[in-house]
Amino acid sequence: MEQDQRTIVGVYHLSKTFGKHFSLHDINLQVANGEFVFLVGPSGAGKSTLLRMIYMDDVPSSGQVVVGPHVSTRMKRGTIPELRRRIGIVFQDFRLLDDRTTFENVALALKVAGAGPAEVKHQVTDILMRVGLYHKRYDFPHELSGGEQQRVAIARAVANRPSVLLADEPTGNLDPVVTRSILELLFKINAGGTAVLMATHDLDLVRSFGQRIIYVESGRIMKDKDMIYVGDLREKIAGSTVSEKADRLKDRDITGDGGHRR
Amino acid sequence: MTMISRRKAANLISIVIMGLSLLILGVFLLVTLNVQAVIDKAGEEMRIYVYLRDGTAAAAARDIQMRLLRLEGVEEVVFVSREEALTSFRQALGGNKDMLDALESNPLPDAYRVKIKPEYIRSEYMATLSSEAGKWTGVEEVRYGERWLARGEKLVKGFYLADLAIGVIIFLSVVFVIANTVRLTVLSRQKTIEVAKLIGATNAYIRIPFLVEGALQGAVASLLAVGLLALIHLFAKRYLPGVLFLRGEVLGAFVAFCVLLGAVGSYGAMRRFLKV
Repeated sequence: MEQDQRTIVGVYHLSKTFGKHFSLHDINLQVANGEFVFLVGPSGAGKSTLLRMIYMDDVPSSGQVVVGPHVSTRMKRGTIPELRRRIGIVFQDFRLLDDRTTFENVALALKVAGAGPAEVKHQVTDILMRVGLYHKRYDFPHELSGGEQQRVAIARAVANRPSVLLADEPTGNLDPVVTRSILELLFKINAGGTAVLMATHDLDLVRSFGQRIIYVESGRIMKDKDMIYVGDLREKIAGSTVSEKADRLKDRDITGDGGHRR
Repeated sequence: MTMISRRKAANLISIVIMGLSLLILGVFLLVTLNVQAVIDKAGEEMRIYVYLRDGTAAAAARDIQMRLLRLEGVEEVVFVSREEALTSFRQALGGNKDMLDALESNPLPDAYRVKIKPEYIRSEYMATLSSEAGKWTGVEEVRYGERWLARGEKLVKGFYLADLAIGVIIFLSVVFVIANTVRLTVLSRQKTIEVAKLIGATNAYIRIPFLVEGALQGAVASLLAVGLLALIHLFAKRYLPGVLFLRGEVLGAFVAFCVLLGAVGSYGAMRRFLKV
């Protein structure tokens, strides 16, 4: 699959079944270089499953995922580490190593990529200063607040300057104030050229930022073309319930292919 | 207790468990070694006595000696005169040696004391040699303690079988304990492995530290076992001065085996449980 060079992540006719249950059905989306995209939907919609397909923690039942030069249908297991080094991943539960300091947690990402000690020290210092946690470099995760732990996780995720950052409910465990600060950090990273695809169930949170929103429900995606289009819809969907918003997006048939409901 | 000190404590416990299991194996090897030494010594002291008829001429006696020396399994033939035999007998009697004063003459014959090569000390060979030599001119009788030899052989055979069975059981138990202990160590680091995979670590990058850790655990545990075994040996020497300790190359092989077991156990655990 040759995709547009401006596209960093492409998902093409992707479906995923677990037994007879369709977790994802005919998903199509592309994320451009440097783009910021919110993946929104209720719990169980398939957001996390979609992200797992992108960083190839599981294989699609059909269809294809393309990340840079990596194509899911042609990839060997041995090249997955290389893919993962091009992608930064952030989780709701942070996934820091409890027996390592802030510095060591971030340094691990550089070490697995083969960086030498001097480079590790330089890069980690730089990243921690950018996320505002240099003064906590010797602290262990249990000594950090939730927001600080997520900042460390983000620092680790961007340590190797990935092309895209995947964030799976990164603010799910955080209070509104901290949530806002994490989002600002993600926007800052995006401003530096890294594409960001962030999954969240909180539509109210994200609609105020004016970024592209892809809405997912029951494993199906609301296919959208561009931010401007979504911007047109904002006034129409504001104030509606989540399902009503989804119905309105579906009614507009934004792909022009007569998208149907299963 | 912090995560790090908990991990160190868990590591220490693992090493102690492995070390104690290896100690059992070490004690078993030590017992086997020493019993084998006793068996070998008994074999070395085994002698066939070829008693000469009274009045056998010196030339005929020498001829008997030469014939004995030509036999394949014979290592040494020593002449024991009747006078030497009586002296030895008197010494063996100890406090009862005065009994011999009643004798008017020395009833003991001249004899040849035959030392057999260790690999030939078997009932069948001894019986055959005894039977053949007994027919030679000038030979009165041949004796070698046939009943004791037969009984000893049965005991030795029984010992070897039991030793093998016990050895296999202990060996498998030790392998199981070590493999399980290493497996638990790997499982306790499951989160570390998962995170490492998520951030792009290759299988080799993840695997190598665990292999090294498993090997190190095996090494330290085996050295602990060897140290404790040396203490046991020192204590045993008070009551059994001749008790042997394992030779350097056996100890080296023991440690090397444990290092390998630790590494292989770690590799197996990672492969099976974490699909690394």
